[in-house]
Amino acid sequence: MAKEKIVKALTPYFFIAPAVMVLGFTCLYPVVKGFELSFYEWNLGTPMASRKFVGWENFAWAWHDPAIFNSIQVTLIFTTFAVTAELLLGLALAFLLEKGMKGIAIFRTVFIIPIMIAPVVVGLIWRYLFDANYGLINYFVQLLGFQPKIWLGTPGLALPAIIVTDIWQWTPFMFILFLAGLQSLPRDPVEAAEIDGATNWQVIRLVKLPLLAPVIWVAIILRVIDAFRSLETMFIMTFGGPVRETEVLSLNIYKTAFLSQRLGLASVTAVFLLAFILLLSVAFLLIARPALAKK
Amino acid sequence: MKVRFLNQTVITLLIIFLCLGITQGSAQASPYAKYAGTTIVVNFPAHAFYDAATKLIPEFTKETGIKVEVDKVEYMRMRDKQSLEMAKPKGDYDLVSYVCMWKTEYVSKGLLTPLAPFFTNPALADPNYDPQDFVPAYLAISGLVGGKKGYMPGPTAALYAVPFGSETSIFAYRKDIFDKHGLKPPKTYDEMLKIARTIRQKEPNMYGLTSRGEAGHQVSAAWLFHLTPFGGEVFDDNWEPAFHKEPSLNALKALLEIVKTGPPGISTFGVGSMIDAFLLGNAVMYLDATSICSMVRNPSISKVQGKVAYALHPKAVKHSMETGGFGIGIPANSTKKEAAFLFMQWMTSKQADIKIAKLGGMPNRMSTLRNPELQKEFPEFPAILENLKYANPDWRPIIPEWPEISMQYLGTAIHEVITGKKTPEKGMNDIREPVRKIMEKAGYYSWGK
Repeated sequence: MAKEKIVKALTPYFFIAPAVMVLGFTCLYPVVKGFELSFYEWNLGTPMASRKFVGWENFAWAWHDPAIFNSIQVTLIFTTFAVTAELLLGLALAFLLEKGMKGIAIFRTVFIIPIMIAPVVVGLIWRYLFDANYGLINYFVQLLGFQPKIWLGTPGLALPAIIVTDIWQWTPFMFILFLAGLQSLPRDPVEAAEIDGATNWQVIRLVKLPLLAPVIWVAIILRVIDAFRSLETMFIMTFGGPVRETEVLSLNIYKTAFLSQRLGLASVTAVFLLAFILLLSVAFLLIARPALAKK
Repeated sequence: MKVRFLNQTVITLLIIFLCLGITQGSAQASPYAKYAGTTIVVNFPAHAFYDAATKLIPEFTKETGIKVEVDKVEYMRMRDKQSLEMAKPKGDYDLVSYVCMWKTEYVSKGLLTPLAPFFTNPALADPNYDPQDFVPAYLAISGLVGGKKGYMPGPTAALYAVPFGSETSIFAYRKDIFDKHGLKPPKTYDEMLKIARTIRQKEPNMYGLTSRGEAGHQVSAAWLFHLTPFGGEVFDDNWEPAFHKEPSLNALKALLEIVKTGPPGISTFGVGSMIDAFLLGNAVMYLDATSICSMVRNPSISKVQGKVAYALHPKAVKHSMETGGFGIGIPANSTKKEAAFLFMQWMTSKQADIKIAKLGGMPNRMSTLRNPELQKEFPEFPAILENLKYANPDWRPIIPEWPEISMQYLGTAIHEVITGKKTPEKGMNDIREPVRKIMEKAGYYSWGK
């Protein structure tokens, strides 16, 4: 009897073992190796056997490297502004289009397009839109009677330009999540509020938003994790410039690994980025769980 | 009986095989026959010269039977890819084109094969190859490693590549606009900057000199073009930083003036945008690599055909032209080195150089540049020859640490200056310490002075 119980208890582990092993090998192994590498000095293009153990030297260098701190700052600013704007715009759009209107299917398809475009292509499209000489944006700026700007090459302008690009690409993602969330809200509390004479705004603020909160949290955390890892748009639009004003952490890692070819130092930054994303993911799981439990 | 019959058969077969062997041996009179059917993989940049050169590959395959697969990559991304590929025990590339500034780094890491073993093999080396004919500065800058300072010619230098898409700097200007305002091609930097200011005053939608300027390698290269003409240098003879000294700062101030009077957005310009500004008529002057000459003629990208003339790269305190572009070498981990060498030799031969020139690539050989027939077709050749008199192989220090110093330090500091965040003095002084640290770590100061 006892044996049967043990077998029964072990069965699920047996079935998930292959998946765990595959994940362990493809995800965990590189992470462990990356962490190990951060203790070595190893230049790209030299055999792995020639790498040198340097202990905490890479961490010490990173601590004194202004470029890394600059990148953390850029990443935080980028993430804060982009995700906040996407959240507010996404919510506004979702409430506006919540009540089925004519042609909503077309709207939804159109809104989804930016998410479907590869980030590299998004970068190229916006690089040409922001181009100082031939860009459409400068054309309209001039039509309105303002001086054309060197959007991607002037300190103080490039990061906002990249944030706008990110907002353009990812607001639809928020919008679709919220729309789906709104449409699956229970009707009863809303109807009850309406019968009690609540205004539209009151219904949104006091009934719908609190009910939608779990979805909002999930959306925010998904986007923050994504924004923290973003690389392609900056890589294409500015390659981190002007100076290092748009050099997000991923781009800093790329430059350290491939321009400076210091793989150990790049690993230190990568480990830091990973640790931060890991923390966010844990937060995501903790917040997402009650939402799942309710269903 | 049976045994004898067998013996006879064996002997007959042996004789047949021997004969076959001999006839095959005589068929190998063509040096390529042994490698017919081999496929080699080459890594080329997306670049006007290589666009022209790749058009010759079918002819090479037809003549030799060696098949060539081209992997084309944006030129600044080649280093990542090649470093990864060439560090593997067995790489995918049999021949790589690289930007000259990476040569010392590659060789110091043991990634390239020295070419002497091929040139000493009579079965491989073409007696009519005539390496003397290469533009001497091009051969030195693209192929020689281990000489003076590690990257210049000298008794200890060895050859690792040959020039293929090498270049020097040339000054190009809009003759129509110059004539309209009675301007003469500038002989000095002062004159050039004055013309740039004049153009801004007299031509409402036109700008002075186009320039690269994107943060990193591009803006660093832009400054380096002007550095040695102003008598500046990156390091002094003891490898101490010299980029913060007066001549170097003068070059930086000239660049600052060029950015102010140049087309809008120089601080975002890579090579492509820099060239476009000239070809689309925004900028009236160009001071960069010779590859512009064939692009000016190409109606699909140029609006200035027939309106451009060429002159010497102006001088500040002296004439000093850049030497750079590409060389082709054979990775140490290639498994088809001989076939790769044959391809390299064929593509850089005198005949191929002429054919590529006719297809729109700039020549790598003196005989092509001096060819009177070609000079008639390509009027820039005499101007290039004139510029080559002042070609300087030491206009930037191509040490193994150079890519990092240029892209991550100079390229950031100079960008801070041209975007107005720092003065030239502060920008350059701020990176003295970190650059010195890199040099010290690499061992440049360990032999004392």
